[in-house]
Amino acid sequence: MNATTAVDRAAARGSDEAPPRRSRWLRRKPEDPGNDVIPIEMYGLKRGTTTFLTLVCALFAIFTLIPIAWVMINSTKTQANIFETFGFWFARPFSLFHNFSLLFQNVDGYGTYIQWMGNTALYALLGGGGATALAAFAGYGFARFSFRGSRILFYFVIAALLVPITAITLPLYLVYAKVHLINSIWGMVLPSMVSPVGVYLMRVYVEVSVPRELIDAARLDGAGELRIFFRLALPLMVPGLMTVLLLSIVGVWNNYFLPLIIFSQNRLYPLTVGLGLWAQRAQNSGNAELFPLVVIGGLVTIIPLIALFLVLQRYWRSGLLLGSIAN
Amino acid sequence: MSSTAIRATAARTARPRGPRQSAWIHRRDRRGLWFVIPFLVAFLLFMIAPLGYAIYTSLYTTRIIGGTTFSGAANYTATLQSADFWSGVVRVAIYAAFQIPIMLAIAFFFATIFDLGVAKWGTLFRTIFFVPFAVPAVVGAVMWSFLLEPQFGPFVHIANAVGVHNVDFFSSTLMLPSIVVIVIWEWTGYNMVILYTALKSVPRDVVEAAILDDTPLWKIILRVKLPMVRPAIVLLIFLNLIGALQLFTEPLILYYFQPQAISVNYTPAIYIYWTAIGDGEYNLAAAAAVVLGLVIVVISVGSLAFRRRRGELG
Repeated sequence: MNATTAVDRAAARGSDEAPPRRSRWLRRKPEDPGNDVIPIEMYGLKRGTTTFLTLVCALFAIFTLIPIAWVMINSTKTQANIFETFGFWFARPFSLFHNFSLLFQNVDGYGTYIQWMGNTALYALLGGGGATALAAFAGYGFARFSFRGSRILFYFVIAALLVPITAITLPLYLVYAKVHLINSIWGMVLPSMVSPVGVYLMRVYVEVSVPRELIDAARLDGAGELRIFFRLALPLMVPGLMTVLLLSIVGVWNNYFLPLIIFSQNRLYPLTVGLGLWAQRAQNSGNAELFPLVVIGGLVTIIPLIALFLVLQRYWRSGLLLGSIAN
Repeated sequence: MSSTAIRATAARTARPRGPRQSAWIHRRDRRGLWFVIPFLVAFLLFMIAPLGYAIYTSLYTTRIIGGTTFSGAANYTATLQSADFWSGVVRVAIYAAFQIPIMLAIAFFFATIFDLGVAKWGTLFRTIFFVPFAVPAVVGAVMWSFLLEPQFGPFVHIANAVGVHNVDFFSSTLMLPSIVVIVIWEWTGYNMVILYTALKSVPRDVVEAAILDDTPLWKIILRVKLPMVRPAIVLLIFLNLIGALQLFTEPLILYYFQPQAISVNYTPAIYIYWTAIGDGEYNLAAAAAVVLGLVIVVISVGSLAFRRRRGELG
């Protein structure tokens, strides 16, 4: 009980010293190879082994990049050329810009890509932002107050981590049918705001990064609880909030099952459902423009996501393991 | 996720306090409830209530003539006796039996290479391998469908060029292997990163001691490192198993490309989808969803118990 936590240690160092800003899992820097790696000669390996293993890595890298390369190359082709020319090389005419312009048109009467992208961004921002806000409040409440029933409630929330997303989607649909949330953006946004894993992450984060003594000192100065939360605790929680925000946004962005069953009007579709619909129609209807549309649509969908992941590596790596459990 | 961490945080909340302080602290602590309430309301409305309603629905039967009547466990009996439901379960079990070992072997192989630093440009390769994690499953499945497509897909062209003719990746025999390849493409990088992180935490002096004993490298990997990352591997096996049971997006996208090869009961999740949305049999679908959810919860709890029993917490 009451083990020496990072918080206690910070308090021991003196209250004027800056509290630890980041928890252990966020403080870990991206690994620095060469720093702690045992030289390969010590394993008795020959130089040739390195070359061979690098080649093996390169082969798997090719496997990894093949679909992305195919999409990039074929986004520059006409539908006829997608069918008739070799998939891994370019062909004339160069129709990238024409294909790109299709994203702004309602090509087959089933919807416009740019509208779906706007929907996805809207759902992701509202759902992700809401999830982060609720998790910040609840995580702080669970970490820094021990009201009656707080432990039971917290275990209850943790138990919800075990409920699979597939098992919750159909029940949501059944309830929506009763309360008229079918074909409502709130039917998509509101459940996305419920993130038990976010609450768990924020609670652990507050434990490590918001010292109790700081809160108590502010209370003695007469500050209200809300003021303490917004002015004192929240700034210390920012890196943890970023992780939860990123995980929730990606979760909403990738969600397919829920929007698939609750939206029947294509103007409400997110990208995942829209692209799935186009892929189906491209295969079945023979419309002249649909294949290039799916290809460039897929490309435009993944580019911002890959960029986001590469830029914000520091934040998602920390929540990776836990986030996966929630999905 | 570590259950020790959960218990530790829970234990830290309850601090020892003197009787003199307790009334004040009690009043103050009660205000914490207001921070938790917004989440709890959303949690009850959008998680607990739907689950409760699904269980309620699953206990009734709706007929066109006669309306909705209480039918007790009838929908559960129907689900558990349904060949459609079980064929989906068997299919995802076969799928998991191939997909999980192959993917974990590949992931462990590359994690070891990067951990030992025996390949050049390790950081670059690690980043590349992780890229598919950023790709939504729908887009990943659509891209692979194009690549494997029988009419214009480049993989069929390549197979023809090297002399293998009449390959149909979308035939009913090759469909499941195709899905295995797609999912391996999507998730190997993620599993690799977790194993790599676990390997990095193996103490350096253990490995150095083994080197000084002239232990051959393969023995260091299999006898020293592998046992030390076993908790991570066990965790990944369970995570991937839970993912396999929920397999939905990839087969549904492939169904759009080749409806003949993906039946309406291809996986349990697809069975639930078609039973509810296709056939409108909501009561039966609710029962199937509850059964599938329970199976996954049992596996999750089992994984926690398994790791705790072995003392492999974390």
